[in-house]
Amino acid sequence: MKAGRPLLILALALLAAAGAAAAFAGGKGTSNSAATPQRGGSITIARQEDSQSFDKTNVFQNESIWLAEQIMEPLYTVTADGKSEKPWLATSYTESNGGKTYTFTLRKGVKFSNGQPMTSADVKFSIDDARAQSKGWGYLDAAIKNITTPDPDHVVFHLKYNWAPFLADIALFANGIIPNNFAGQTRKAFYEHPIGTGPFMWDKRVVGQSVTFQRNPYYWQKGKPYLDSVTWTYVSDQNTRELQLEGNQIQVDEFPPFNSVEKLQHTGGVTMTLFPSTRTDYLEMNEDYAPLADVHVRRAISYAIDRNAIIKSVLFGHGKPANSFLPPQVPFYSKNAGGLQYNMAQAKAEMAKSKFPNGFKVTMLVGSGAQDEQATGQIVQSELKPLGINVSFVQQDTSTEFQNIQKMNYQLGFSYWTMDIADPDELVAFAIDPKGGGAHSFFTGYNNPKVINLSHQAERETNIPKRAALYAQIQKIAAQDAFMGFLDYAPFRYAYSNKLHGFFVYPLGNYHLEDAWLSK
Amino acid sequence: MTLGEYVVRRLLQMIPVVFGVTVLVFFMIHLVPGDPARTILGNQATPARVALVRHAWGLDKPVYVQYWKFMGRVAHGNLGDSLFYGVSAGHLVLERLPVTLWLIVLSAIFSVCIAVPLAAIAATKADRAPDHVVRAVPLIGLGFPAFYLGILLLLVFGLNSGRLFPVGGYGSGFLGHLHSMILPALTVALGLAPILIRSLRASLLEVLESEYVATARSKGISEQRVLRKHALRNAIISMVSVLGVNIGYLVGGTLVIEQVFALPGIGQLMINSIFNRDFPVVQAVTLVFAVMVVLVYLLTDVAHALLDPRVRYE
Repeated sequence: MKAGRPLLILALALLAAAGAAAAFAGGKGTSNSAATPQRGGSITIARQEDSQSFDKTNVFQNESIWLAEQIMEPLYTVTADGKSEKPWLATSYTESNGGKTYTFTLRKGVKFSNGQPMTSADVKFSIDDARAQSKGWGYLDAAIKNITTPDPDHVVFHLKYNWAPFLADIALFANGIIPNNFAGQTRKAFYEHPIGTGPFMWDKRVVGQSVTFQRNPYYWQKGKPYLDSVTWTYVSDQNTRELQLEGNQIQVDEFPPFNSVEKLQHTGGVTMTLFPSTRTDYLEMNEDYAPLADVHVRRAISYAIDRNAIIKSVLFGHGKPANSFLPPQVPFYSKNAGGLQYNMAQAKAEMAKSKFPNGFKVTMLVGSGAQDEQATGQIVQSELKPLGINVSFVQQDTSTEFQNIQKMNYQLGFSYWTMDIADPDELVAFAIDPKGGGAHSFFTGYNNPKVINLSHQAERETNIPKRAALYAQIQKIAAQDAFMGFLDYAPFRYAYSNKLHGFFVYPLGNYHLEDAWLSK
Repeated sequence: MTLGEYVVRRLLQMIPVVFGVTVLVFFMIHLVPGDPARTILGNQATPARVALVRHAWGLDKPVYVQYWKFMGRVAHGNLGDSLFYGVSAGHLVLERLPVTLWLIVLSAIFSVCIAVPLAAIAATKADRAPDHVVRAVPLIGLGFPAFYLGILLLLVFGLNSGRLFPVGGYGSGFLGHLHSMILPALTVALGLAPILIRSLRASLLEVLESEYVATARSKGISEQRVLRKHALRNAIISMVSVLGVNIGYLVGGTLVIEQVFALPGIGQLMINSIFNRDFPVVQAVTLVFAVMVVLVYLLTDVAHALLDPRVRYE
């Protein structure tokens, strides 16, 4: 009977679901490690956010930046450990004029995806345009006085002053090279389908759905990329991404939740990798609130946080306790920074020394949809109770939470950082210098003139050992001041088909897809 | 009043409703806390950069000035540019609209296809085993959360059972869209059908006990023919109203289904735009939702009148 069919379908669905769930749970991850890369094939990467824009000079969203980097490349790029730079579109550089002049030699034979050769005029145009973007990343190029091009193969950067992070800044995605004068287009039109020297070139985009790049036939690394095309899709539901990966409808699932990591590690046909990252999570303490301006209170809070408990219940064991506001994947990170770790006796002793020995009430801002913040908040709440610190939650959606933290309209809150360059200066200036872009020391109000002075010295110090010593000192003082609670270092999570090889995520979060290939 | 006059009058009535909704949404979205510049620049943005972006977007101007500019644009048929994507908000919405329309129309078709035969069985076998089964089993569909039912269907028909359907996505081309839409539409229909079954069953029972049906039976017309030609046609009128109300509700309620099945529809655009405080897109989506809901109710009334000649256009 026709009328019975829908019921039959439903019954079948329910029965089959049990079997499917069993198969889902019982699979075993394998890794095909064929040695020789093979040409051809296409992959789809599913993400939880859609790309916003491909204007590399003005976009701050990772889901846009990591795609733009497949098309537009810089003169130098970050190494796989995230701690230094290596030659990319330039083959070398020399320093002169006491470190205020850098002359780069461009790689020969580099062409844009439209077949046009790359010259020094393109480099000058690209970086002049990037540093002119006051709403974007231009501030990182503030040390550049001007750029000259003595011949098509050389570019000379004249700096206003000695600037230690210069090479790291040049390797920033925003300083990627594009054709002179936007290849004859308007700025807006160019970034709707950008042209670069990267392994892939623009194909098509359906806003809110997908972006597809094709292989660049003019790519300067002969034989690469191996893949014919890469598509990024926007799939907001984590369960759907996992099912799509299992069904080979996608080949990469970006950022599966921590509670899925173990299951994906045991799913057939799937490789689940935790890549070391520069992500560091913090408990923000606003010093505008009197109790949190007391260093002993902040130290007590930092001592009272059991970071291992947070890692166990929020990151499902996939993280490490933070001992510095800098992550281990950034140059000059100090493993002896001395970030305060869980010690309730010390916490009580610090509270006793403070102006608030009997405790106080404090509010904690948490994202209404942010399960990790809520779980971490509950752990911190229970740990602060023995100190007499009564935490009550204020739940707000992400946009409102950002707004209130950035306006310093909060008492306790959560935030995190990921590096964009292989140099600590970007984070140090933001986190400990109240005038670092007006960020009020990561919106905490922390103001220690000694640390600020050391950070300014470190920016200009080009002697590596001396610079390392300065950053070690900064980290040590900042840890003792406990201006934030340094919580944990969390990895980047990627689940991908075990037929995909050469897929590697850098500590800054980007990936070089010219090395990725598919086995049959 | 003729049907044509009625439709024109209803369409004219739509203008103040849609205008009112748009005004309400403009002030609501601008008055709630949260700032698009801060959201888009992320947690690492400095206040200086936030201020520059706010100025570039005109967000540093008073709300009434922004409203005046918004109305000026609307008068010229321009809903502004998305703050997140930097493209026309109207274009974004129109690009996504077919996805949601596919979902709504196919869901309505599926729910009717499920409800009519099951309600007929229940009504003709009232208070017997088939009736109890039909009344009880579809409630499972109603009781299951849509996201769970969707995942189950994906597991069964997307991963197992020969991978009959894609695991989410919109597909390409008419057949590709149809293929991709079957599971999401079935998920919606399994939730909607129980409501329709209950309504249609109750109407059918009432009609089957009416005098004209008794007359038809007394003339020796078969029970099948009585059901199809006399009972269903009259009973279905109430179901059309129930379906209309539920489709009106569905217009704004497809979000969960769009998320589970990775459908780039208007519901997903709306929720993302609210989170991003993408004011122009929220306004554009609201405008389209308002028009769609009013149109669905208008179509329901017209269908009602066409099915029941006693209904007058007033």
